[in-house]
Amino acid sequence: MIDHSEDLRQWRLPRGRHGLPRELVERSQRERLLAAVIKVTVAKGYESTTVGDILGEAGVGRETFYELFDDKLACTLAAHKILVDDLEEQVRAAYTSQDCPWPQRARQALAATLDWFSSDPVAARFTLIELSTVGPAFRATFQSEYARFTTLLEDGFGPEDPQPQLSGASGLAVGAMLARIYEEVVLDRTAALPRLLPDLTYEMLVPFIGEEAARAEQKRAVSSPSG
Amino acid sequence: MQKHRSSETAATVLQTGAPPPIDRQSQRRRILDAIIESCAAKTYAATTISDIVGRARISRTTFYKHFDDKRDCFDAALGYCIAELERAAAAAHSPTDPPGDAARKGAAAVLEVLAARPGLAQLLTGDALAVDPMVIERYRRVTIPALQALWGREGDSADTHTDPRLAFGQAQVLILNQIATGKTDRLPDLLPEIAYLTVSPFGGHDEAIRQSRLAENVENSVSER
Repeated sequence: MIDHSEDLRQWRLPRGRHGLPRELVERSQRERLLAAVIKVTVAKGYESTTVGDILGEAGVGRETFYELFDDKLACTLAAHKILVDDLEEQVRAAYTSQDCPWPQRARQALAATLDWFSSDPVAARFTLIELSTVGPAFRATFQSEYARFTTLLEDGFGPEDPQPQLSGASGLAVGAMLARIYEEVVLDRTAALPRLLPDLTYEMLVPFIGEEAARAEQKRAVSSPSG
Repeated sequence: MQKHRSSETAATVLQTGAPPPIDRQSQRRRILDAIIESCAAKTYAATTISDIVGRARISRTTFYKHFDDKRDCFDAALGYCIAELERAAAAAHSPTDPPGDAARKGAAAVLEVLAARPGLAQLLTGDALAVDPMVIERYRRVTIPALQALWGREGDSADTHTDPRLAFGQAQVLILNQIATGKTDRLPDLLPEIAYLTVSPFGGHDEAIRQSRLAENVENSVSER
C-alpha cells in the first residue's frame, strides 16, 4: 500500500538479540519511538504522557530517546510531521494523477483526504486533536500546514481553468476539510468519513465554481465515490 | 477548594468589616478578563488560580465565590466572549439594512472586536480547542438563529446553499491561521472571506460573492486613507 521509508505502520523489529547493522537498528528505534508517541498520546493525552510511557511502549532505552529527540515535544512534532508528509503525498497523488477537469481532481483529492483519515483513526486523532494541546508550538505547526495544503490546492490550477469566483476560495476549501474532519474525529465518527464525500465536495467547490456546477460535481461523487 | 453555594450568602454576611459587597458583577468581570489574558499569555493548561487572582487583584476566596474551579471560570469566560461578539454584531447594523448587508456589517464588527482584544480571539480559536474541542458549537448555537432571523422565513430554501454549521468551522480555521501567523491585529483583512462565509449559507453564493466584493472595496478604501 504505502511504501514510505518512515512509515510507522511498517516497523517490525524483533526484541532481543539480532544481527542488524547499527544504523538500521537506530532508525528502527526511532520509528518505534514515533509509533509509540502516537499511540500513547492518543490513549493518555499529551499533557499526561511522559517520556517513560513512550519508552515503555517502544521498548527503547532512555538514553537512546535523548540521542534522537530533545524532549517529548520534539518527538511528538517529529511524529506529527511524518504523518502529515504522508497525507500530503497521498493527496497530491490523487489530485495530480489524472488529466481531467479541475473539479473532478479536487474531488479526488478530497476523497484521498477522507480515506487517509478514516483508514487510521489513531493517526487522525493524533494529527488533528492532540496537536492543539502541545502549547505554543501548536500555532506554528498549524500555520505551516495550513499554508502547505492551501498551496497544494492552488498549484493544481491550470492556466486554462477558470479563476475561482471567490479570491480566497482555497483557504476556505482547506478550512472546510479541516473543520469537518476535525468534528467527525472529535465525535468518534472517523471510520465513516468517506461517506461525507458528496456533501463535502459541494461545500468545497461552491466558492470556486458556484452552486450549480458544484451540485453537478456532488452528484458525480454519489455515483462514483472513488473518483 | 470546593465552592459551597449554600454557604456563600452566609459567608458574605459574616464578613463584617470587610468592604461592602460592591459590584459583584465588576468583580466577576475582572476575573474573566484575567483568565482570558492569562490564557493568551501562557495557555489554559499553564494558567493557575494564582495567575488569575493575581491579575484580577482579588483573593482566592473571592475567586471561589464566583467559580467552582479553573474550568468553570474558563467556561464562563467563553460565554462572555461569545456574548461580547454577539453584542458587537447586533449593534453594527440597523433594522432597515438588507440581510446581506447586515450580515457583512456584523461580521466586520466581530473581526474588529477580535482584533482589538486578541485575548478573545485566542480563547475562541486556539486554547479553547484544547479544553473543549467543540467550543465552536457554543458559538453556532447563538449565531446561526440570529442570521436565519435576518433573512426571515420566506428566504430561499436553506438546503440549496452551503452548510451554516460548516461555515463557522471554516471561519474558525481562517481566524486561527491569522492569529498563528502573528497578524491578530489585522483580522479585519479577513472580511472578504468571513463575509462570504456568513452570507453564503443563508443568502446563497451569488449574494455572498457580492458582499465579499463590497467588503474588499471597504477594505481598500480604508487602507488608502
